[in-house]
Amino acid sequence: MAQLPYIEPADADPVTAQVYADAEARFEMVLNIFKITGNAPEIAEKMWQIFFDILQEGPKLDWYTKELLILKSTKMGDCLYCVTQHEVVSARLGVTEEKQADIVGVEYRRSEHYTPAEVAILDLCQHVVLNPEEIPSDVWAKVKEHYDDGQIVEIVTTIGAYLQVSKFGDALGVQLEEVWHGHAPVLFKHEPPTSKAAQHHLDHFMAQAPA
Amino acid sequence: MPAVATIDSPTDEKVQEAFSAAEEHFGHVPNLVKALATNPDMCSSITHFVVQALQEGRVSWAFKELVILKTLRSVGAYYSYGAHEGLAAELGNSTDKIGDLNNSLWETSPHYSEAERAVMRLVTQIGIDANAVHDDIWNALREHWDNGQLLELTSLITTFINIGRVGDTLGVSEPKLFTRAV
Repeated sequence: MAQLPYIEPADADPVTAQVYADAEARFEMVLNIFKITGNAPEIAEKMWQIFFDILQEGPKLDWYTKELLILKSTKMGDCLYCVTQHEVVSARLGVTEEKQADIVGVEYRRSEHYTPAEVAILDLCQHVVLNPEEIPSDVWAKVKEHYDDGQIVEIVTTIGAYLQVSKFGDALGVQLEEVWHGHAPVLFKHEPPTSKAAQHHLDHFMAQAPA
Repeated sequence: MPAVATIDSPTDEKVQEAFSAAEEHFGHVPNLVKALATNPDMCSSITHFVVQALQEGRVSWAFKELVILKTLRSVGAYYSYGAHEGLAAELGNSTDKIGDLNNSLWETSPHYSEAERAVMRLVTQIGIDANAVHDDIWNALREHWDNGQLLELTSLITTFINIGRVGDTLGVSEPKLFTRAV
């Protein structure tokens, strides 16, 4: 159960209602993580703009590549909510199940499904998540072989934004919507959560009857 | 030197607008905003979000600065730590109170109220494992803070996990965040 109430569209103030309308237009539904931000509309409005900007084909970076970063960064934080949803989104954009599976650990480095450019930014992603104070120069050099500064800003901010939203949702106990019940997360099948609490959440989710 | 080029005089309209908003709020354009400027969408949305966070809100700005400092410490990200420490003092927090953010001193510090300690427990637990913020932590928080405040606090903590990571990764230095009076 979530730790704060979900503010349903019928109860939303005008600012939140506009955020919900934008979210529904983009994602086909108002997800629970949007509804929980209805508790503070002034925050919802500014916060979700970042994600609206990320979750689209960008002038700087394609959505497919951003989904790889989202899967990697949220899997490293054992975020069931994000991983489940973005496995589905990334599949729609063409990321195969085999490619999703190979993103765990450092499998992507030896996977035939990943390009050298993708390997470079997934290596950077691991450093951003684990220790952004000590990113080796060779990691940067490989990233810069493939991406310009505007793209690097989008890569780093996508990772940062998904660290933010995954921890936000997990801390507040935001639940996966019924529509996802029955989806068996590929990434957690190939690499179980390291967090005992996350494993508990996964077991509970897998026990739900398919929608 | 940052990992990406910084822009001082933007030509893109969206970046110009973000710079104007930053200058009005901070008194100058912070280095992080300049480092994001090669990507107008990210520069704009992140700047407006951070401006909204760094002001009086449902929770006092003075306390929000302590939450930011504890968050940065908890996740080992030090982008703008010194600037936030100065800002926390400028907003009225005593040196002793700021110092008691160190490790678990806040748990027994006379400078922290039970309401503030409850928030520091939230910060610490999110830093350890956001999946394991259990009911006891939330029940204690609900004794002191309403739903809007708890949303703001959780957003603030996770925002600065993001900002700390991004600032450190891009190698940005921010000696002073606000050059206007706060």
